[in-house]
Amino acid sequence: MLGENILGSGFNFDLEIRIGAGAFVCGEETSLLASIEGRRGEPSQKPPFPFECGLYGKPTIINNVETLANIAPIVLNGAEWYRGFGTDKSAGTKVFALAGHIVNTGIIEVPMGIPLGEIIYTIGGGLRGGKKFKAIQSGGPSGGCLTHAHLNTPVDYENLAALGAIMGSGGLVVMNEDTCMVDTARYFMDFIRDESCGKCLPCRVGTKRMLEILEGITEGRGQAGDIELLEELAETLKQTAMCGLGQTAPNPVLSTLRYFRDEYESHIHDHHCTAGVCAELQTSPCRNACPANVFIPGYMSLAAKGKLSEAYQLIRQENPFPAVCGRVCTHPCEDHCRRSQVDEALSICGVKRFIGDYALRDDYDVPAVESRPSTGKRVAVIGSGPSGLACAYYLANNGHDVDVYERESVAGGVMYWGIPEFRLPKAVLAKEIRVIEAAGVKIHLNRGVGDDMPFDQVRSEHDAVYVAVGTQKSRTMNIPGENLAGVESGLSFLRRIGLGVDQTVPERLVVVGGGSTAMDVARSALRLGTKEVTVVYRRTLRQMSASREEIEDARGEGVKIIALASPEEVLGENGKVRGVRFIRRDMADFGKDGRRRSVPMKGSEFTLECDAVVAAINQDVDTAFYESANMQVNKSGTLAIDRFTAATSQPGVFAGGDVSPWGANVVIHAIADGKRAAANIDKYLGGDGSLNKGTWFDVALAQDPEVTEPHPRFPMRTVPVKDRLDNFREVELGFHKLDALAETLRCLHCERRFDA
Amino acid sequence: MNITINGKALTAPDGCTIMEAANANNIHIPNLCRLEGVHQCGSCRICVVEVDGMRNLQASCIVKARDGMAVRTNSPKVRAARKVLYELLLSDHPKDCLSCSRSGKCELQALGEELGAGESRLHGEMSTRMVDVSPSVTRDTGKCILCRRCVAVCGEVQKVGAIALQNRGFDTVVGPSLDLPLGGTACAMCGQCVSACPTGALSETDALAPVWRAVQDPNTRVVVQVAPAVRAALGEEFGLPTGSPVTGRMASALREIGFDDVFDTNFAADLTIIEEGTELLGRLEKALGVKPGGAALPMITSCSPGWIKHIEHAYPGELDHLSTCKSPHTMLGALVKSFYVERIGVPAENIFMVSVMPCTAKKYEVQRPEMEVDGRRDVDAVLTTRELARMIRQSGIDFTGLPEGEFDKPLGLSTGAADIFGVTGGVMEAALRTVYELVAGRELPFEGLHVTPIVGLEQVKTASLTITDTLPAFKHLDGVTVNIAVTSGLAGADILMDEVAVGTSPYHFIEVMGCPGGCINGGGQPRNREAGYRERRMQALYSEDERKTLRKSHENPDIAALYRDFLGEANGETAHHLLHTHYTPRGMFSNAGGCCN
Repeated sequence: MLGENILGSGFNFDLEIRIGAGAFVCGEETSLLASIEGRRGEPSQKPPFPFECGLYGKPTIINNVETLANIAPIVLNGAEWYRGFGTDKSAGTKVFALAGHIVNTGIIEVPMGIPLGEIIYTIGGGLRGGKKFKAIQSGGPSGGCLTHAHLNTPVDYENLAALGAIMGSGGLVVMNEDTCMVDTARYFMDFIRDESCGKCLPCRVGTKRMLEILEGITEGRGQAGDIELLEELAETLKQTAMCGLGQTAPNPVLSTLRYFRDEYESHIHDHHCTAGVCAELQTSPCRNACPANVFIPGYMSLAAKGKLSEAYQLIRQENPFPAVCGRVCTHPCEDHCRRSQVDEALSICGVKRFIGDYALRDDYDVPAVESRPSTGKRVAVIGSGPSGLACAYYLANNGHDVDVYERESVAGGVMYWGIPEFRLPKAVLAKEIRVIEAAGVKIHLNRGVGDDMPFDQVRSEHDAVYVAVGTQKSRTMNIPGENLAGVESGLSFLRRIGLGVDQTVPERLVVVGGGSTAMDVARSALRLGTKEVTVVYRRTLRQMSASREEIEDARGEGVKIIALASPEEVLGENGKVRGVRFIRRDMADFGKDGRRRSVPMKGSEFTLECDAVVAAINQDVDTAFYESANMQVNKSGTLAIDRFTAATSQPGVFAGGDVSPWGANVVIHAIADGKRAAANIDKYLGGDGSLNKGTWFDVALAQDPEVTEPHPRFPMRTVPVKDRLDNFREVELGFHKLDALAETLRCLHCERRFDA
Repeated sequence: MNITINGKALTAPDGCTIMEAANANNIHIPNLCRLEGVHQCGSCRICVVEVDGMRNLQASCIVKARDGMAVRTNSPKVRAARKVLYELLLSDHPKDCLSCSRSGKCELQALGEELGAGESRLHGEMSTRMVDVSPSVTRDTGKCILCRRCVAVCGEVQKVGAIALQNRGFDTVVGPSLDLPLGGTACAMCGQCVSACPTGALSETDALAPVWRAVQDPNTRVVVQVAPAVRAALGEEFGLPTGSPVTGRMASALREIGFDDVFDTNFAADLTIIEEGTELLGRLEKALGVKPGGAALPMITSCSPGWIKHIEHAYPGELDHLSTCKSPHTMLGALVKSFYVERIGVPAENIFMVSVMPCTAKKYEVQRPEMEVDGRRDVDAVLTTRELARMIRQSGIDFTGLPEGEFDKPLGLSTGAADIFGVTGGVMEAALRTVYELVAGRELPFEGLHVTPIVGLEQVKTASLTITDTLPAFKHLDGVTVNIAVTSGLAGADILMDEVAVGTSPYHFIEVMGCPGGCINGGGQPRNREAGYRERRMQALYSEDERKTLRKSHENPDIAALYRDFLGEANGETAHHLLHTHYTPRGMFSNAGGCCN
């Protein structure tokens, strides 16, 4: 109600609306008042506070519209009603603006204290396009980010502050996995610097200098010490800036450093943007996503011209296992392929397999890379898996004398016995291993370091050592009955099948787990005669780490999958397995890794009868080996390895592959680790750390990419299900040659650069 | 109130800031943008301190101390913050200290020493650098640290506002609006901004180069004169206490440097009193109807060129109130190039006339079109007191060890009335000493000849004199009460001029000096913010006055000789030709002519 003598009360109330010029700093109250008074929008010292001396020197109350909008309902409905919402310290509701990569964007009003995950998934509908959630920025350019570790956090002032974020005006920007957090910090700092009023030195110059450092990092000019300098500047701004704009300017930087420091370090040390955003740091999104940095558009061009030998050699420059990876790689490149914005991602993996198969023809000799002159240095590689062999290959090409020690009787590690023949034929692997041996690598089979060869001896007989022993210890289920005969781990099952040691399978099999190993175990068992296989996973089908294709193939072959159940006890009779008692689970809150946890539902037990149980629930590093080798082990039991140099605590001893603390259990990562180690070992041995990848050759663009008409992927041939189950023949048959060449023409060639 | 600083329990006056509380207890907190008596705005943040119970560091210059506060001024956290702040400053500052005119006297340099700061680890884009050379003030925006002192002095002390903050954020720059050069605005050239500036961002426009050239040219006769206020402050540049009068050593130094003739502007000050006094009496005659014609009253003094430029911009319709007398040094320059060259038989073209002034506006004044006679500039170059000190050092002279020297005849002798031209109220007092005696035939009835109501640092000082028992020639003034006013600083001038402009001014004679406190606080004087520095310099000039036997301008025998042998009558034809001038109406905001630009 406005006007004079309102309702005869003698009280006057007047409203005047002024439109500001839009300066962010004028959100700070003293700047706002200055601006209304016609002065520069700059803050002044408080006290005096506006309620003592405000607009035109008069006592002034300043609130934002949301606060004022709360007043009417509180007056009408009473404080008790209002306190019914929210938490003790933060009563009532809060309005948020939900934006970003989320399905439902818009303004929401929720009770204070609502868990963050509920805002994102229940109200927001989750991430668009099925992408993974990475972070959410709360409080805009003055705020901080929260990650998947905080999805259970009740959203209120205190909790956000404790996590380094702020409520601010309620801006919530959801960011998916394709977001670069360094670029995000740069973006917010750019905004703040532009909005700085310039009155105080720390904000005026400090935000500019912080922005310059961030720009340097995102453009590949980052240097050691930049992060520490950012932190020092951040602390100074927080402590000395005159108003909230400057004091909170460092928040996005500090909070992204707190939760995503490794991204900063990758940008600085490796000049690599994991999210594939920073343009100066990448050739193309696919190459950037490939842990081994394979020049994908390059081999697409070569293959399109029919130059398959050159294409194969181009891949080998970065990855010595093209044919293997063309079958089993998790292809992160395809997840970033820009073609998916037109129709579907390029079938990069399939094309690579086609090229690899060309090279595996009997009448084709893979041209060898001319190795550098002999250095006279000897390197020992322990383990002949993908990591060890990749490392050995590059070291040999650099002129070093390499000995690979493999405990088993065959080379290849997990590639040999951990992946079944119907996914990766052993002959394919063997040919690519032969090429590595042709480079000069000596593989010694049946030599287990730590068994018959003490580590110290190996170390003393070589100038450097690369430890790539993989993860040998399976995780246990930790339930009663685990020790009954008929219970084994996924690794041990696959190993005995793969090495031909013992191929007995039960009539009815239960597999606990949800990854590739579980699928491989199930499908192998079926082929060897098991009548009934059930895979049981504790979370949802969508959360299984096995790929969609693997799951579809498995189900197609008759594997039954039960989701949301976990084993409680292995039931036995006469010391042998006769069944497993499970309990059903329900989705609950979020775990620290951002995945939704499941909890058992009381009273929902059920039993599956079976003759054997395979637990394929993850592997761990066998630390006994490291203790004997005197290598430093982390608190979590993983090996202490430098992320950028592959060095362990022992000089001259490097490690990588599945043994690393961030072990992704994926072949292409293992290969990337091996390459990194080879470069660092070369440096350790006196070289310059550059890898000899063979002669350089120019790759010219085949022709302009075709985008005028969408076209889905060309079809990949597979063996029909009915023909699969009694043999271990390869299920995927690869592209027809014409389809492969046509597929390469779908590539958009994002590596092209046009000079402006 | 009680306050704990660095663990010591101390007391401080109520209502003071943390820094004031520390200063009162001899605890020094490093600071930069603050200027004692001018402003503190909390912009540089160097003065931050830790205050128990407050989350962030607080700017001690603007945060009020409260009873029971516990403050740490030098904790590791504070020192770390100051170091980074200094690095931020350095990262946007040119590194040409060696060739900068403030090297050795730069507050930024001094702060770096105080903080023990090393090289800055921060590198990046620097603010746009622009050098703007006006006749009096040179701006180098690259060296500006945005302390805002100059903005405060120009806008709030002088109330001119010719420079202000433009743009914002990192692009903030101090300067005139619309990117105008300073010489194109209503800037009065008073140089108060130059005095306030902590770095080389604002400096007087250099005249040392042409002066050195002239001094070292054997074919040029270089004549120098020195203003009264210079001798009261020059010693400060050589470590002498504030307010040490150094007249004799100053004259010796000038001779040592190699000036051919060393004259004293004081001589011309006495001359000015004769001319201006005569002019005043003439206007009073007209005002009282004794002579025909109108008279613009109040008459206002015209020896302060900063004031002159200001009135031309701000009150262009009131210019006829100004005395038509030139300022003393331009009078002396005109005499040198006419009277003196005749005497010594040197062609006037060979003369290079140099004035040493406490003033930056004089540099502007001497290039005004009308400051010439018969095609020859009255004065060729103006050096500030600071520039003279540099010249003395560059000459390798040990100033404090010099013997007492003398000024040259015939333009070197002066009375005590001339010395006090440098203080606010001094010109008025000198004028009254002569005019009163001329009219009443007896000495000015004030103790020690000091007209006490107009002595001191108040912004506007007024007095009234009722004249009685005049000499017969001045019967028309018998019983007349003459109202006088004195002000210094342009804000004070505006107060008086607002009355003049609407016709309500009760005064007959007004003295205006452009700088607060008068020439002793001129824009060209040594930079000094000691408590009472102005009072001490004023005292130096009063002591010069009091030690002289001759204390009234009309008693100067060399002045009498000048009139007898050369000028003829005061305000006569020769006098007007050489010693009087006219003024130019200017725009309110710009230098273009016309009333209302």
